[in-house]
Formats: sequence, structure tokens, C-alpha cells
Amino acid sequence: MMRLLAAASAVALFVLLRLTTPAPAVTVAGLVGLLLTAAAIAALWPWLATAAACVFLAGYAAALWIEGAPVNVVPALGFGLALLLLLEAVDLAGRGHGATVDAGVVRSALGRWIGLGAGVLVAAMPAMALATLLAPALPAVASPLLAAAGALGSVLVLAALLRRAR
Amino acid sequence: MTGRVAPLALSLLAVTAWAVSLGVLSGRPELFAVVLPIVLVLATVARRAPLPAYSIAHEISSDRVFEGGAVTVTVTVAARSPIALIELLGPLPPGSAVLAGSHRAVMTLEAGRTARWSYEVRFPRRGAHDLGAIAVRVRDRFGLRTWERRHVDAKPLRVYPWIAPLRSLPRPVHAQASVGDYVSSALGEGIEPGDIRQFAPGDRIRQVNWRASLRLGQLYVTQQHRERNADVVLMLDTLAEVGAPAQTTLDLSVRAAASLAAAYLARKDRVGLISYGGVMNWVRPGSGRVQYERLADALLRADVVFTYVAKDLLRVPPRVLSPQALVIAITPLLDRRFAKAVLDLAARGFDLVVLVVSPVEVTRATLAPSLLSELACRLWTLERRSELGELRRHGLPVLEWRPPEPLEATLVGARRRRVRLANAG
Repeated sequence: MMRLLAAASAVALFVLLRLTTPAPAVTVAGLVGLLLTAAAIAALWPWLATAAACVFLAGYAAALWIEGAPVNVVPALGFGLALLLLLEAVDLAGRGHGATVDAGVVRSALGRWIGLGAGVLVAAMPAMALATLLAPALPAVASPLLAAAGALGSVLVLAALLRRAR
Repeated sequence: MTGRVAPLALSLLAVTAWAVSLGVLSGRPELFAVVLPIVLVLATVARRAPLPAYSIAHEISSDRVFEGGAVTVTVTVAARSPIALIELLGPLPPGSAVLAGSHRAVMTLEAGRTARWSYEVRFPRRGAHDLGAIAVRVRDRFGLRTWERRHVDAKPLRVYPWIAPLRSLPRPVHAQASVGDYVSSALGEGIEPGDIRQFAPGDRIRQVNWRASLRLGQLYVTQQHRERNADVVLMLDTLAEVGAPAQTTLDLSVRAAASLAAAYLARKDRVGLISYGGVMNWVRPGSGRVQYERLADALLRADVVFTYVAKDLLRVPPRVLSPQALVIAITPLLDRRFAKAVLDLAARGFDLVVLVVSPVEVTRATLAPSLLSELACRLWTLERRSELGELRRHGLPVLEWRPPEPLEATLVGARRRRVRLANAG
């Protein structure tokens, strides 16, 4: 069941890539991602799934850059949820491989992911509103630097959280 | 309980870092939106979650089985707080195999719920095991943090060697003082008629031989042969072994020793054991069911311990290796030191039988059939025939057991024609 979910999320990622742009380079990236996911599902090796997620992300970034379309957050959120589902499903499939798996495990995992999806949508609304409010106030020259600093800061904060949790 | 961050968290962090890097490089804000669900999940690590509260109990269906037998392990988990995911790794000793179910389980438990899981383990080889340790790993809601611990509740299990029923056994030369199944040459109380003699005061009327008395005109009584038991010492070669696991020459030797011990004990004999190898162990001769337990315990721990040192049987106390005992040496004759020890015993006048477990057949069973392996086995057989001939030239009765032929078939050909046993008691 978990393997099916992982495969379904990989297919969803590929479809989202194709919907963003039909460029051949992006399609190739999507196919590589699918191949890596298939290998990850067969070998139940989570790091292959991580590699697949990174390839899908690179393809998505390329698709957005090629198309240059106006910002649309909803498909991006869906892409993020599918990525998360892929990684978690491969990890859970590995845990349950060769084991007696209680029926409640899949049920509770599905419930958790649906709840997370709803939570993400709810959290995205104020975040987008805040971003729309703040964007005109920022100087255009400093925006890339601010974005880079914010990205680095958020990753470092998350890394610190994980380190503390060890 | 040991808590740590799961590899999944590191994986998510790597994807987040990659996504924001791509976002900065491409200048597309959607990539920041992509990582929003992942960041939200990672942020849950910051929450100080309470330690999961649960209790585990497990039991095994039997604490002793024979080789090839199966044991059911049942594990019960009771959750006092909600558990998003609990992974359990049940005991599976080396050499055993899961027959039904799985020794791993993954489950989700709500607070107050109890779950039970069981699996069946088959033990093809003798041994003493402990099925008492269960590895437990509990994961948080998104599988980012894990808590691990080992639940230990000793559950010893003994897997006894398989016993073949034996009817034909090598007969000992000397009898002992206790009552048994062997007809002794000494006269006394018994069933087997022996000599007749003149009636003497104190003789019982039922002992009077009326036919002889009438013929000879005087009262004569019939004397009976005493029925006595014997001491049997099984000498097990643990110097070397060949063959696939559960079917090595040592495993077969142990099964032969267990079968012989059970058969002799059923005849009221006293049976002892000497494990002759890198480590020399012995069990003093005794009789009865308890003695079988002692012997089986020693046999199921018998293992090959490599050594360059040849052990001297003079170290074995006389109460274990009595000069009156029948010694049955069980060996594949792979190590010359054992043959030398056997010849030493024979030279000291012990009543000795050598039961050779053929390593050729055991090795042949592990090889893929080919002309070369067949030729090698035939050459080895010739070489061993010469070795056995050398033992026979010393006057030793040598029985060669070629598994998978039954042990009984080997022993039938070796019944020694000894009707009356010399009395030692």
C-alpha cells in the first residue's frame, strides 16, 4: 500500500511538471525522477527517494523559469505535499517491509497527510497575504539578497532544531 | 529509552535546502511555497513531545522442543498514551527460521489500546537460546524522531537433539552391581535359568527343580543368572566438523549420542558423556530421566572449539570413565588426535566401540553433483577405508554410519554375540 502511495505521488509530481511546461528538458528531468523513485521503491532505500525529490525539484524550478508565468502558489503547495508524501511513503514502506503491518498504520498515515494538506492550505493564506503586503515595501535591489539570507536563515534554524532534538 | 532524530528528518532538511537554493537562483517564489509543507513538518520537532508510555509482555509456547520443532512467540503491547508508530523486532536466534507470520511488526496504537502479535519460529538445530529480548522503536507523528529501547524478559528455550528409536545396541562386556536388563554370568536372583545344585537350607521351595530331583533322587534347585545393568560412556568427538548447518558431522554425532543415551537409559543402564575437543566436558554416568536431561543439556551445547592441544583422557576422573564401562566413541574421524585417544583407551583395556559418522556423505550432500566432486568423494572414501582398516587391525569394532541411512541399520550389523556379561559388581 505504501509503495503504491509513493508511486502515485511520483506520478503526480511528473504530471505537475508536465502541466507547468511541456519542455523536453523538464520531461527528461521528470522521467529521471520517476526512474529514481522506481529504484527507491524497489530497493526501499530512502536516499534514492531523496535524490528523486531533488531531481523533481530541479525540474520544477527549470519549468517555472522556462515558462516565466505569473506566480501561482496553489500548484506549488501541491508539489510540496506530493514531495513530502513521496519521502514519507518510501520511508514507511521500508519500515513495514517484511513485517506484520497493522491495518491502522496505513489508515492513520493517510489521515495525517490529509490533515497536513489542510493545515498547509490554511497556513499558506496568511503567509501569502503577508508576502503581498511586504513585497512593495522592500527595495528591488536588496530583494535577492534578502531572499538568500532568509533562505539560509530558515535552513539553519531547521538544522538547529534537528540538532537540539538529537 | 534512547531518543534520536530519524534519517527522514535529515532527508527533508536536505530537500528544503535544495528547494530554497533553487528558489534564490531562479528567482521564483513558488519554490518557497513548495517547501512550506516540509518546513511545517520539520517544525514539529521543536515541540517537546512527551515520551511514549507503553508496556510490553511476551511469552513463548514452549520452553523445550526437539530439533525441527516450532515455538510460537506472542507479544502483547499495551499503550498508555497514543503511539503514532511502533516497530517491534522479536527474537530470532541464529539458525532459526520464521515459519508463520513475521518477527517484525509495525503498528499504531491509541491510548488504552492493547495489540497482540504472534509468529512461529522453527528450530532446525539443537541449542540453548534465549527468546527474551525485543527491540522496540517508537516514532513520532511524522516519523522524524524515534525512541528506542530493548525489552528484556528472559525466556530460555532448549532445543534438544532429535532422537531415533534404537532397538539394537552394542552390548557391554562388563555388568555393574545394579539391576538391569543384561543377563550376568554371576548367579543369583533373576529370570534366566543358570546352573542346578543340591538343595541347601534356606532355599525356597519354588526354586526346586522337580524334574532333576526326581531323576537324581535328591532335591535340587535351579539357580538363575543375575540381571544387571552396565555403564556406558559416550565419547563425542568435538575436534572438527564438516557439512552444512544443522547437518554437520557434529550435529549427526550429537543426534546419535542422544539416541544411544535414550536407548541405554531405557534399559536401566548408567550413561555418561565425554565431549572430547578443544574444551573437554564430561557428565558422570547415571540413570533415569534426570540423567537424560543432564546429557541432553551437555549435548545441545556441544560445539567445535579449535585447539592445537591434544587433550589427555587421563584427566577424566575414573568415576566418569570407569574401566568397566562400555565406551562408544562417536566421531567423523576428521582429526587424528581423536583416533589416537581411542587407541590409547583400547590399549588401556577399555571395552570400546567406534561409531564413525561418515563425513563423505555429509560433504557430498553439500556439493553440486559433478564428475569432479564425485571423483573426489570416491578418493576420500578409499582413503577413509584405509583409516578404518587401521583401527580394525587394532581389534576395535568400527561401525560406519553413512547418513541418511538410519542409525539403527548401522547398529544392527554390529550386535556382538555376548550372552553372558562378566560381572563387575
